[in-house]
Amino acid sequence: MSQVGKLGYVDSKLGAPTSGQQTTRILFNTIEAPGVTSSLSFFKNFQGLTNGQTNLTQNKLDSMESMVIKTIWLAQLASTGAVNGFGGFAQQTLSIIVGNQTVVKNLPIQFNQGQVGQAFDRLHENAGVISDEVIGATDLLQTQQPCEIRLLTDIVIPPQVAFEVRIESNGVNYGTGAVVCALSGYGKIFSAGSSF
Amino acid sequence: MALSAQDKILYVANKLGLSTLGQMQGSTGAVYDVDTDLSGQIFSSASRHQNPSVTNITENQFEVNEALLVENISFYVKNAAGNVNNFQKVYGSDAVIVFDLVIGNKRVMKDTPVFAAGSPFTFANVGNQVSASGEDVISIYCPRHQVFMEGAGILIPPQVQWYVDYRIFNVITGATIAATDDTAIGCYLFGTRVLLNFNTTI
Repeated sequence: MSQVGKLGYVDSKLGAPTSGQQTTRILFNTIEAPGVTSSLSFFKNFQGLTNGQTNLTQNKLDSMESMVIKTIWLAQLASTGAVNGFGGFAQQTLSIIVGNQTVVKNLPIQFNQGQVGQAFDRLHENAGVISDEVIGATDLLQTQQPCEIRLLTDIVIPPQVAFEVRIESNGVNYGTGAVVCALSGYGKIFSAGSSF
Repeated sequence: MALSAQDKILYVANKLGLSTLGQMQGSTGAVYDVDTDLSGQIFSSASRHQNPSVTNITENQFEVNEALLVENISFYVKNAAGNVNNFQKVYGSDAVIVFDLVIGNKRVMKDTPVFAAGSPFTFANVGNQVSASGEDVISIYCPRHQVFMEGAGILIPPQVQWYVDYRIFNVITGATIAATDDTAIGCYLFGTRVLLNFNTTI
């Protein structure tokens, strides 16, 4: 089943509106100065964040909106603006919770970034090529890519259902800059159509 | 089976009553423009821009029986000398563009982020790696700043105006970043193109 078909199927099962503008949707959320922690929760706190740090105001989609998650994207930025390895290179796991259901459970993220170089998919080159680095990375000299994982299955976020992305570790230093999580995929946004 | 680009074009054309679009020349194309006014809007001022150094369109709508199925949206920076640069190399990895794509009076892409550090969807290629000058060999990335459309893309029909609304932020602090004449933001839309074809009429 295609992602378009899957979203229509789930929306109809839930009695959610199936009309709306079909589009590509990317949701993102930032945690400022996370420091050392064993747990990060994205899409949980929106207080004080600007439109440059998140494009949602609550942890759920609007009543006429839904989406399929195809890609998870994670970045750690130092306060200087340089891209760092997400959580250094320590092993961490990622879970996505939609409503009261865990839809992605303890998925390891370190294989798709950093020095491991053994990404889940064949297309993905290792995001952190170890260079003959003689100077540290800066905001204008980027030495590694953010972590990205392409899902094999279509995970649906229905309208008006709370969701959360949780990262767990055994205590990792995420720095004093910011960490960002983005969920991207196919979605529907509200479209008045001929109603107005 | 997934909807093909051609199927999507014909489906939308049929909905809009464009009965002859299917007889036109199918092609591949891209349109681009730069926000030289620093207004936060791209394509809407294309009619005033030099062609092809700034844009390749004369107005921000296609003529009769021409269309573009947008399958890839990309951002770049154009400096005062007219050179095209990588967004991250000018604004730094902590910048983010948040944009809307508006076709007619409808917003079809909503608050979509394009991260300077390298956007989602672009992982399949590490991008361009270059050596920083003046140092021993160091591999640095020129990340890609693109949104590859999921599904079959979005059609810009003939004779309907479109534009991109955008803002630039620092993703760490959330502060807005102002572009300058030397750091103007450009955008291209790439995808399956429909070109006017008169067949045997002329």
